[in-house]
Amino acid sequence: MAARGLLLMGQCMPCIKHNASKIRIRRMELDKNLNMYFKKDTFYFAHDPQKLCKTGDVVLIRELPERMTRLITHSVEKVVYPLGDITDPITGKKVVVGKYREDIEMANQLFGKSDKAFDYEKAPPRGRLEGTKDFTHGETYIKYHEDGTEQPFAV
Amino acid sequence: MNKLLNVVHAVPRQFVRDYAFKSDLKIKWVRPEKISCIKPEKSGDLAKLPPLNPNEILPEYKDSKELANADETVKSMFMLSNNRNHLTTRYYRDQMVKEVQRHEQDYGSMEAKLAKMTAVIRRYQSHMEVHPRDKMIKVQLKELIDKRKKFLKYLRRWDYPRFEWILEKLDLVYKPPPAHFHWVTRKESLQKLTDIYCEKIKEERLEAYHKELQAQQIPFLEDAIKKMLFVRKEQIDCDVPVTVTEQQIEDARKELAELKELRDAAAAATQKQSDETFH
Repeated sequence: MAARGLLLMGQCMPCIKHNASKIRIRRMELDKNLNMYFKKDTFYFAHDPQKLCKTGDVVLIRELPERMTRLITHSVEKVVYPLGDITDPITGKKVVVGKYREDIEMANQLFGKSDKAFDYEKAPPRGRLEGTKDFTHGETYIKYHEDGTEQPFAV
Repeated sequence: MNKLLNVVHAVPRQFVRDYAFKSDLKIKWVRPEKISCIKPEKSGDLAKLPPLNPNEILPEYKDSKELANADETVKSMFMLSNNRNHLTTRYYRDQMVKEVQRHEQDYGSMEAKLAKMTAVIRRYQSHMEVHPRDKMIKVQLKELIDKRKKFLKYLRRWDYPRFEWILEKLDLVYKPPPAHFHWVTRKESLQKLTDIYCEKIKEERLEAYHKELQAQQIPFLEDAIKKMLFVRKEQIDCDVPVTVTEQQIEDARKELAELKELRDAAAAATQKQSDETFH
């Protein structure tokens, strides 16, 4: 493993470890019996002290020269696609589903944009609702025990 | 026969019945009460609809001059509270959409759709409180809640800033679904609780051992410095090659000073914290 420095691209998954992110690498595996491909996930833990990547981001990870701990074998190189904040690689414009954000904005201006409507310029960076309204940064579980304390991730 | 039995008892048992194993740990499992999926705590609605103004007039007749001049009986006929129920729902829905829509005509964007659904969901939820056996509304409500959850999932993937904004604006909570479904059983829950219990014990013991080792650090270093000084002195006096250098002793002293400083700082911090909690 040592000197390869292998680069991998995968998606960030919710992870409770500090200074590390759990990355899912999804490959397609051929089932020779059925002659069909099936998804096969492998999980790597990447060293990420600044928590660069959030759940759902597509990131590049690089293999460390030697494993840092029993789990951590990679380090986060960079965030390629942040979740829900996609830039078109050709034009460099921001995209929402099939439209440019500019086009949507232009249509809103034509119809007379409402004052209460959402504005991208005023939007703070992702993560301000973590733990209050948005619980996607952790794994949820089915509530199995009532102990009187608050269980925010119990469904 | 008795001898044979003794032999059997003497041999350690290979197979231990564990399927009916009962733990003697004092773990009490409380089954969580089932919450109906249509309840606000499950659907993620933090806020309720504002109470209806009793003198609210139907939106179509709001600006009518004739109605403004009409007498009380006519006016009361055009009040929302004296009209059909779905008109009130529609009124709430429009109010909610106006809070989030992109422009005047926008009723079809994702945020407008979510606002519409939220208004109807909250209206139905209050209806279900009064009429808990209304199955038709219950089914519609459940389907709407699920659909809204799905739309929130999509919006999160498409446009994260807008997703966060709409959560704040509509006062919703979004929790992703758990990865695997399972029924809540006594056995599995107890297994999980036992695991947590064991994990806690492990951590406590490790912490205690860590503290014990830390407490030994300062006496050990003091002792080491003393012994090194003694050995050095003896070696010089007896004219044998000196193996303990001044540098080594100095290093040990420096380490000791640093350690003491660290401990003092930690002690001061805990003292300050306890004072704050006391006051």
